[in-house]
Amino acid sequence: MNLYEHTIVVKQDTSTAQIKKLTEKYSKIVETNDGNIVQTENWGLLNLSYIIKKNKKANYIHFKIKGNGKIIKELEKNESIDQNLLRYLTVKVKKFDLEEKYFSKNDEKEKKENNKN
Amino acid sequence: MIKRKKLKNKKNKQSNFAKLSIFQNNKYKFKKSCPLSVKGAPTIDYKNIRLLKKYISESGRILPSRITSVSLKKQKELSTSIKRARLLALL
Repeated sequence: MNLYEHTIVVKQDTSTAQIKKLTEKYSKIVETNDGNIVQTENWGLLNLSYIIKKNKKANYIHFKIKGNGKIIKELEKNESIDQNLLRYLTVKVKKFDLEEKYFSKNDEKEKKENNKN
Repeated sequence: MIKRKKLKNKKNKQSNFAKLSIFQNNKYKFKKSCPLSVKGAPTIDYKNIRLLKKYISESGRILPSRITSVSLKKQKELSTSIKRARLLALL
């Protein structure tokens, strides 16, 4: 069994309901291939640092998956066809750090800054 | 605030001036230890954008380790994680 971190970049036009559907769809694929999802994070709408296919912003979804390499094959096969996605990235890791959330902190800070302004 | 900043600058200048010879203007020259392999240093990760931003130039290129004095092992980790962040358009 291996540990993987998997992130998806979804187009900016997709609604929240569609994003939920996407997360359910991909978590189902993992579960049918004898995998476990340890954690899912929704990083929300973030600014892209460069334009990808005329998109300036994108939604990020982050999975932490425990399972075999077959899962990743199946996931990426489906994701390469999917038209709602811009990018995907899988990284094999030795340990999960479940505590640190880099993107939820950012949101709080941005909110504070907005309030000040 | 402005006064404080000025004071800080003055202090730095003095301390550097004591160490520097006239011909060496490199302000990183005397920082020898790696800032990322100290105890309690932050872990290098492609999600930790705030850390990675310190190690890229304004135009987005990776800074060489001879300027930042990062150790070889950590520099390799840095470069892979910066490239991962670039792929996700985070940097």
